[in-house]
Amino acid sequence: MVDRKEYDVLVIGGGPAGLAAALSASGTGARVGLIEREECLGGILKQCVHDGFGLVRFGQMLSGPEYARRFIDLVEGSDIAVHLETFVHAARRLASAGGGYVLECVSRDEGVFEAYAPALVLATGCRERSDRQVFIHGDRPAGVLTAGLAQHLVNIEGVLPGRRAVILGSGDIGLIMARRLTLEGMEVEGVYELKAEPSGLSRNLQQCLSDFGIPLHLLMTVVEIHGKRRVEAVTAARVDLRGSVIAGSERLVECDTLVLSVGLIPENELALSLGLGLDPSTKGPKVDQGGGAGEGIFVCGNALHVNDLVDYVSESGEAAGRDAAGHALSIGAAGGTAAPGRRVAVKAGPGFLYAVPQFIDLSRPGPAVIYFRVNSTLREGARVSLSAAGETLLGKRYPALRPPEMERLEIDPGRVPEGCDSLWLELERKEADLG
Amino acid sequence: MKLDKLRSALRKRFGDGVEAREDRGSIVLEGQLPSWEARLEAGSRAVGAGSRGVVNDIVADDCAWAASERLDSPRDPGRDEGEKGLEGLSFDVAVIGGGVVGCAVARELAKWRVSTILLEKEEDVAFHASSRNDGMIHDGFAARPGSLKAKFNILGNRLWEALAWELGIEFRRPGSIVLFRNAATQALYPAFAARAAMNHVDGWEYWSPRRVRAEEPNVCDGQHGAFFLPSAGVISPYRATVALAESAVMNGVRVELGTCVKGFEKEGDRIARVRTDRGDFRASVVVNAAGNWADVVASFADDRFFSLHQRRGTDMILDSQAGGLQRHIMAMPSIMQAKSTTKGGGLVTTVEGNILVGPTATELPGRESYATSTSELRTLERHFRINRRLLPSMAITYFAGVRACTWEEDFIIERSRRVANLVHAAGIQSPGLASAPAIAEEVARISLDVLCATMKVSPNASFVAVRDAPLELRRLSLEERAKAVSRNPSYGRIVCRCEEVSEGEIRDAMKSPLPVRSLDAVKRRARPGMGRCHGGFCTPRVMEIVADELGIGIDEVTKKGPGSRIAVGMTKSGLGEGFRG
Ligand SMILES: Cc1cc2nc3c(=O)[nH]c(=O)nc-3n(C[C@H](O)[C@H](O)[C@H](O)COP(=O)(O)OP(=O)(O)OC[C@H]3O[C@@H](n4cnc5c(N)ncnc54)[C@H](O)[C@@H]3O)c2cc1C
Ligand SMILES: Cc1cc2nc3c(=O)[nH]c(=O)nc-3n(C[C@H](O)[C@H](O)[C@H](O)COP(=O)(O)OP(=O)(O)OC[C@H]3O[C@@H](n4cnc5c(N)ncnc54)[C@H](O)[C@@H]3O)c2cc1C
Repeated sequence: MVDRKEYDVLVIGGGPAGLAAALSASGTGARVGLIEREECLGGILKQCVHDGFGLVRFGQMLSGPEYARRFIDLVEGSDIAVHLETFVHAARRLASAGGGYVLECVSRDEGVFEAYAPALVLATGCRERSDRQVFIHGDRPAGVLTAGLAQHLVNIEGVLPGRRAVILGSGDIGLIMARRLTLEGMEVEGVYELKAEPSGLSRNLQQCLSDFGIPLHLLMTVVEIHGKRRVEAVTAARVDLRGSVIAGSERLVECDTLVLSVGLIPENELALSLGLGLDPSTKGPKVDQGGGAGEGIFVCGNALHVNDLVDYVSESGEAAGRDAAGHALSIGAAGGTAAPGRRVAVKAGPGFLYAVPQFIDLSRPGPAVIYFRVNSTLREGARVSLSAAGETLLGKRYPALRPPEMERLEIDPGRVPEGCDSLWLELERKEADLG
Repeated sequence: MKLDKLRSALRKRFGDGVEAREDRGSIVLEGQLPSWEARLEAGSRAVGAGSRGVVNDIVADDCAWAASERLDSPRDPGRDEGEKGLEGLSFDVAVIGGGVVGCAVARELAKWRVSTILLEKEEDVAFHASSRNDGMIHDGFAARPGSLKAKFNILGNRLWEALAWELGIEFRRPGSIVLFRNAATQALYPAFAARAAMNHVDGWEYWSPRRVRAEEPNVCDGQHGAFFLPSAGVISPYRATVALAESAVMNGVRVELGTCVKGFEKEGDRIARVRTDRGDFRASVVVNAAGNWADVVASFADDRFFSLHQRRGTDMILDSQAGGLQRHIMAMPSIMQAKSTTKGGGLVTTVEGNILVGPTATELPGRESYATSTSELRTLERHFRINRRLLPSMAITYFAGVRACTWEEDFIIERSRRVANLVHAAGIQSPGLASAPAIAEEVARISLDVLCATMKVSPNASFVAVRDAPLELRRLSLEERAKAVSRNPSYGRIVCRCEEVSEGEIRDAMKSPLPVRSLDAVKRRARPGMGRCHGGFCTPRVMEIVADELGIGIDEVTKKGPGSRIAVGMTKSGLGEGFRG
């Protein structure tokens, strides 16, 4: 038999979401185990050497490592048990009374062991979409890499991926890498974006492209890669508003590197293996305001939906950690069962990409945060309201709304009227943005 | 007579652009045609007009580059240049080509006391067709009765199970369900059965629609039952090729990677010396297992009695999460395909637990052109109809391979009629993987026959058939895994999260009997980067291990040998600024 370690809360993933979750769970007195497969804590922040982290939370522009350090220091000063270079190979739910979860872990230093806790926090982050997933054809040479991989090579390994790069996708990581590669002496031929508007934050467009004179080609994409051993060129082409390539618009762009920043997907293998269904619009599990996905599983950070700001990631981690600890301790107190509270669904009306959480548990104290994204740019801004059974509970004006930028609303669950089973998020736009 | 008929047919169809002549039994086509399609048509028409093969030297205007493709080993400029390690050596047998066929031949020869060298121009074995296929060990039903394909396929299918066991690689027989899509195809059952009998296929059955549904609950509605072939198997083609090569090396075969055969020196009707880019050496027998270059290699000996055309095949790989949705290999040919000899592709369950969708079969120039295209993928979409729960969005990647086809569409496995010590294993298109063990036995037998004339050949009493399989941690029980990790902690450090590959497994692969020099070579052995994230996460970690094992800088690590470095140098500081613990 392999060794079994027991905790109240097990957190999988040591990025900002997992760090915050572990800290807040531990703060309530729960025994917390934090499992991270890499050699140190910090998640994706380890490689984000640019600054732009922590503005909301700390009112400061920190670099990724600096932001992570603040949490890691707290974790190191706590009694959270950190298992580094430990990989969760499988997770299973115990059928016995009280349930709980057993994780099969593989670790360099601790060997193979099992870990048990009544509550599980999934903070596994996200992964990048690859060239195959956006169906770029042609050859398969060296020199095609995702932006996150390029970032890792440059910022962690200290190697330069090429001499002349084309960047596909105007997401933040792509923009940041355009600047980083330029600073390292590479030539960035341009950033190509399929859509009619860029998907990165406005500040990154200015600071990473305009300031360096790097062209942004909207409504263009890369359709083919050339070069047998190393990239020699790519074919770029114009697309129409539906994303279809306009015949005859193809042109050859010489380069030795193609960097892809074409989207992130929540990492949810464990959630799926535990039988959680996914929300097709977020690609993450459906949860309540504490990240609760049911039966003692809590999900936070990029594993839940892809966030643009780390500050919100930490916030969602804290909520999940608190509720996970609450669940674990109440099971202990109630002798094996945690009564679920009354839940109402949160539904995003027309104009939204999605809203998270998908449910609000009305028995939970304190305000619930609802994060949302709109599906098109509203330059004139809009009023967003939350209503229940035709009655508006609250409304807030936003000066501008863009799909890449996540926004938040807070609601007091106590204000939800009796007998209603769903809350509607609604958008009132300005005339200029209609049509 | 036949030649005259061919000439007039060609003239009628193509005017004066094309000429046909006979050369020692082969039909040689020359001239110029506007398109690749026209060239193909001319080549097919010439089949049967001579007593030997068709040699199609027509240049197509729209693909003129195809006539000047060069046979070469990739080299980093300035590195290893002028190294002539093979100069002046001599061997009993030289095998050209480190695909599944060449490697199987080399291992077969290792059972005898003969000195064998295997030459592969790339930095690893299984670089070309042998790592770019469906991994199916066909049942032998689809091959044309009486063909060499049919003969060697059936024999190979029977050999693979025991061979895979010896090599320590996984082999499974999921069986193949050929669905009848309507009453008309269902009516072909007796014809199917007759053909299976003619090919000596090992077992077949009619499955009622209900039986099909019971075996494969996700099968499409409206099927009319199926022709079931229980002997169809699957294997990992690159693992098989690597294992064959390793086993050959362990038993004394010399494998030289990164070595290209550039010509032969003949003495009378024999090859005296083999010329390579790393020196010239003597060989008593030469085996041509050069895949898509086999006709060029034959020409080095003035024995080009056939030529090859390339049929590209594209496959889609579905996420392993889809793997559980189907147990058997499944296909649903249209009535046209059912009557013809092409297999038309389908859904193949792999040993790794993925599903392969494909392959396509498209005539395109390029002996080593593996570009995929949207139109190729589109032709694969129809296979998704077979299984109601499979979706194109489950694809994690796709790849292409190139089949080396003679114009007669059959294998050539014979001793050269013009060169006394040359043996051809050419035109080994699908089902070449399935047939490889049987082809190897035949080629080894012929080679030994040739050798026997000049030397005494005896069995190699110290031949070790069983190769120790490398550890695969994810397949162990928790307890076994715990033991392995406590013995070697690097088995506990997971480097590839999608396929769950540990550092220890990668280090093991790099210490194997064959040199492993690139990320793709590591991938072929231990699978890091083969999963849904395509190495986005593990690439730097695998690079570190490869650099460490080879004693080179991390910026020198390549994806697939010379000319394919991942990085071009260090950053300005040469240091990572993020933190890594
Ligand atoms: C390249 C990039 C640039 C960004 N730039 C900014 C910016 O400028 N400003 C800003 O505010 N935000 C930025 N963000 C957004 C923000 O930093 C991320 O959203 C945030 O880091 C996500 O945190 P996370 O904890 O959910 O995920 P991650 O940081 O990805 O952490 C997940 C952790 O879980 C571990 N893990 C996963 N699966 C397992 C398992 N099975 N077993 C053990 N461990 C596991 C992983 O190793 C990883 O350490 C950026 C994001 C990226 C990707
Ligand atoms: C898409 C696709 C799917 C397929 N599916 C199946 C299947 O499911 N089942 C099946 O049985 N078959 C299948 N096949 C066919 C199978 O892949 C081939 O028949 C088989 O791999 C051929 O092996 P080979 O050793 O002859 O050729 P290769 O693997 O191409 O090896 C030949 C080697 O010779 C080397 N070489 C050439 N010239 C020289 C030289 N002058 N000097 C040194 N080295 C040289 C090349 O570099 C190459 O590595 C498929 C093929 C394709 C393309």
